[in-house]
Amino acid sequence: MRPPVLRVDDLAKRYGATVALENVSFGLNAGEVCGLLGENGAGKSTLVKALSGVVTPDHGEIHLKGDRFRPTSIVDANRLGVSTAFQELSLVPSLSVATNLALPDAPRNAIGLVSGRELRQRAEATLAQWGAADIRPSDIVDSLPLGVRQRVEIIRALARNPSVLLLDEPTSALSDREWLFGLIDRVLKEGVSILYITHKLDEIRRLCRRCIILRNGQKVLDQAVSEMSNDDIFRSMAGRSAVEQFIAAPSSARPQEAPALEASHLTGEGIEDISFALQPGEILGVAGLEGHGQGPLFRALVGLHPLHGGRIAVAGTARGLHSPRVARAAGVVLVPEERKTEGIFKDLSTIANISVPVIRRVSPLHFLNRQRERQLVEQVIPDVDLPEHFLPLPITDLSGGSQQKAVLARALVLGARCLLLFDPTRGVDVGAKQSIYRMMRAFVHEGGAILFYSTELDELVHLCDRCLVLYRNHVAGEVSGGTLSQELVLSLASGQAAQAQPIAAGSP
Amino acid sequence: MMSLATRLRPARGAAIAVLIYLAMYFVYAISEASATSVFAITNLLDNTIVLAVAAAGLTLVVLTGELDLSAIGVIAIANVVVATTSAGVLGWFGSLVAVMLIGAAVGLINGWLVVGLGLQSLAVTIGTMIACEGVALVILAAPGGEVSDTIANGLTGDIANVVPVAAVIIIGVLALWFVFARTRLGIAIYAVGSDENAAGLSGLNVRRTKLLAFVLAGVAYGCAGYLLSAQTGSGDPRASNTFLLFMYAAVAIGGTSLTGGRGGVFGSVVGAGILTVMQKMLFALGAASFYTNVFSGIIMLVALFVGNLSGLRLRRQRGAEWQSATPRP
Amino acid sequence: MAKRDAPALSESKPAKLRARAAWANPELLPVAVVLACAALLIIATKILNPGSSLTQQLSAVLVTSIFLVIASFGQGLTILLGGIDLSIGVVAGLSAMMISVLTDGQNAALPWAVPATLAFCGAIGMINGLGIALFKVPPFIMTLASGITFFGVGLGFTSGLAQQPVAPALQALMSGYWLGVPIPIYLIVGFVIIAATFQNGTAEGRQLYAIGSSPQAALVFGLPISGLTILAYALSGLCAGICGLLLAGYSSAATLDIGDPLLLPTIAAVVIGGARVVGGKGIYVGTFAGAIFLSALETIITVLSLSQGLRNIIEGVIIVGALLLQSERWGALRRWSH
Repeated sequence: MRPPVLRVDDLAKRYGATVALENVSFGLNAGEVCGLLGENGAGKSTLVKALSGVVTPDHGEIHLKGDRFRPTSIVDANRLGVSTAFQELSLVPSLSVATNLALPDAPRNAIGLVSGRELRQRAEATLAQWGAADIRPSDIVDSLPLGVRQRVEIIRALARNPSVLLLDEPTSALSDREWLFGLIDRVLKEGVSILYITHKLDEIRRLCRRCIILRNGQKVLDQAVSEMSNDDIFRSMAGRSAVEQFIAAPSSARPQEAPALEASHLTGEGIEDISFALQPGEILGVAGLEGHGQGPLFRALVGLHPLHGGRIAVAGTARGLHSPRVARAAGVVLVPEERKTEGIFKDLSTIANISVPVIRRVSPLHFLNRQRERQLVEQVIPDVDLPEHFLPLPITDLSGGSQQKAVLARALVLGARCLLLFDPTRGVDVGAKQSIYRMMRAFVHEGGAILFYSTELDELVHLCDRCLVLYRNHVAGEVSGGTLSQELVLSLASGQAAQAQPIAAGSP
Repeated sequence: MMSLATRLRPARGAAIAVLIYLAMYFVYAISEASATSVFAITNLLDNTIVLAVAAAGLTLVVLTGELDLSAIGVIAIANVVVATTSAGVLGWFGSLVAVMLIGAAVGLINGWLVVGLGLQSLAVTIGTMIACEGVALVILAAPGGEVSDTIANGLTGDIANVVPVAAVIIIGVLALWFVFARTRLGIAIYAVGSDENAAGLSGLNVRRTKLLAFVLAGVAYGCAGYLLSAQTGSGDPRASNTFLLFMYAAVAIGGTSLTGGRGGVFGSVVGAGILTVMQKMLFALGAASFYTNVFSGIIMLVALFVGNLSGLRLRRQRGAEWQSATPRP
Repeated sequence: MAKRDAPALSESKPAKLRARAAWANPELLPVAVVLACAALLIIATKILNPGSSLTQQLSAVLVTSIFLVIASFGQGLTILLGGIDLSIGVVAGLSAMMISVLTDGQNAALPWAVPATLAFCGAIGMINGLGIALFKVPPFIMTLASGITFFGVGLGFTSGLAQQPVAPALQALMSGYWLGVPIPIYLIVGFVIIAATFQNGTAEGRQLYAIGSSPQAALVFGLPISGLTILAYALSGLCAGICGLLLAGYSSAATLDIGDPLLLPTIAAVVIGGARVVGGKGIYVGTFAGAIFLSALETIITVLSLSQGLRNIIEGVIIVGALLLQSERWGALRRWSH
């Protein structure tokens, strides 16, 4: 057997007292896709950064094609044949696609100036080469949807002709995964090795023969995918058995009451005539591929996105929810997608994060009363399984899952009657997911209502009473109760079942 | 066309500035008959160039997303250095080189403190500004000194009584800028100011880019101090004190975003022009001098407000792609 | 980036330890260092100036620090929100001029002149806040523009004339003693207690931290962003106004530019006190320590009778040095760059 293209030996990296990577060793063979799995904080990103020259490991060796590989910078790593498509996307928003593709060394003309024409021609050729001729090189990146940006990011990594390609959650915003899978198959034939980081098991099964699982900075599993059951994988990632992911529960919807949240013919940018009625006690799912209107819809419901028409009623009364403050007063609270910027208050402690919107309530004469604050917060944290000893910690010391629990606790403290959860389990570990599911069940059981968008279809299928499927910014269909299945949702979401109307079954 | 597309956006802010400039010049010209004479134009431009050159330098730093208050310190040093050396040991050329080197050195210090040690640029440059003013005071404790005639005469007035020297300098600055914006460094400056993290992951050298922006800005401040000396004919360590606010005013009026990544030197030069022509206009209209201040402030807000509005419109246009409206960290 | 990978571990093991240490605010350590430096400077001043006692030196430093102590509270609030107030110097100058004009050397007018002046200054701050909160003008520009504008207005009203006499009571306030202690020191103590309580002990203070820390989250969760932004800038204007009154009393004659030298030191005090310039972090006690330090520095430079040039150089170097001292703390927070 040939030696591996990339060999990692005993790699370690710590940040202060925190061990991000320890004793990590593995090899990557030519023409192989190797999956890299792990909960958030398991060390995946640190490993990617160490391999792409962004961070320098404290200990250990990396060998690339037999030579010692110690990139001093990302440019250095690229030069040596390792390129990366980053999860957080590394495109510069104010520059065009063409310029971004050419960075860091844009082509220069005879007098040393960057030539716009050449940039454009090269970009056109590159985009066409990687099956993205639909992307215009002159478009400014921050005017593009996230999915398109992710494609550009991937193309830029591919266009550097790497021998080792690192793909860090490359499908998080991608609407057409097959495009990426096709490209992966293509470069594999050319002998490129790929390290594929993802949360999605189906992608691992589809692409990888082998998979590595990290936990707490250490490699806990390195095995052929075919030999592993899903349960094995979950257990290795979480360090415990995720026995039953979804516990079936009877619907607690109360169809006889006035809808907790009713939208009639909402229209706006990215929203075309969307209507629904969310009953108390109901979890109404929203499904849709990235960029089919779910984002504007959720934001519009709390006044963060302008509406041109339509009506919103809360508990049977028409309300103009033109700002999150007004929505909050009406009991409608959004748990947003971007946890890091829109969810947490990054400089506050966990307890302050939870209490801050209602801090006035526990501040007689405006003065903080920490005891009452704590009492208030302790009322809700059991509902989200947030351990009490996390409360005094800075929120940024918590894992993504615990942060999300704190954000949900904040929504509960706000006295929300209607929660709008936008992909609440993204980047959340398995354990926290279970807590979030439980919290959702308990919330609707008490008569609350949840509008729930998720990128994970099985969550929608298992948790929701009904599910709206969005396609091209409008409701392509509504699937409910017994007919709710991943296949049906997917076919609606991809526009295939559009002719097969009427699919919508009756309300519960 | 990347160069076209990236420049279209700053152009919006700059276009507003150009319109304001033309409107003010128009009012000035109809209220004072001699306004269109070569002499008046030369005078107007002479009054503009110091601020314009300083603001041009500042723009580079602001584009990278940093702030720089050290300008007035550098201008003060340059001014007293020219006043003490240009008529003596160094001559006109030697003193020009000297002030550019001084500016570069201060820029290097600023840049090193900011990118090398990770200090906050606003706070650091307050420190360097105060220290530089101190150096200027040590070199020349009280107004005085003598600026060589070559400088004082050569940089003011007209070439062949037709073309104001100041106009040549301004055109030179703008030409330099249009070339610079098309260099890799120029692109990198926009990229770094737009999203530092992404620029780094794209392989750009963020530290080097910022460092060079500070150094180039320092050189520009040095040149501004040189030009100031040509205007005043003598040294005054405190002559530049009033500049700071107006430099930022010029940059802001010119449509450069103070958070970086958007704008350009062209706008800042026009912004400096506006602040100058406004004084002339108000004087010609017989308004008391304090109106200059009131107007400067209001124009800053107006320019910004109009710029904001067009920004909002753009955002709404691409609202369909909601992700792009999601704020970035 | 480091942060993202860090949490899972730090969460599990040292959580209890961290919890126990949480009562000791880690932000207090740099504050203590700054205060210690100020104390060293005061002691050095005393040694250089053997004729004076340590208490004399201390009270001299405190009395001259009062302007900075008060004005930098407002600056600190705006910086906490991720903004800045560049109109402070102008507002202080306007306040000094206004109180002089209104009182015209008579105490009788004070009861209405003081509230009127402070209301005017608060109103300028409120205009700043309105522009920033409602019209989304960047704070740097808004306060710069309003400063330039109102300076012009002041110039128009006073025709640039200065040297108005100030009500004697104001002068007495700044130069008087009570129980052998200069009155300004009582004012400082009272102000520091009120300011620190507001920033770290009230609901509004907590929400200011939240907004400065994550403005987007504050929006999504319906915090009163506009109201608190306006409040912060209005308070900044008010503090600058108070400062102007005291300046008028201290110098016994006001000029329009009397507050100008205050502006940059307010920013310096906040930064030396450990606040983060982009908002969300910093405590008032730190700002207070920064103000005392700058005042002690000014005093020792005066005692050494250094030339103005050397003075500036030392002051500048010390500001940078103070920043450097804190850079380790900041180094950890520093964004990853190439």
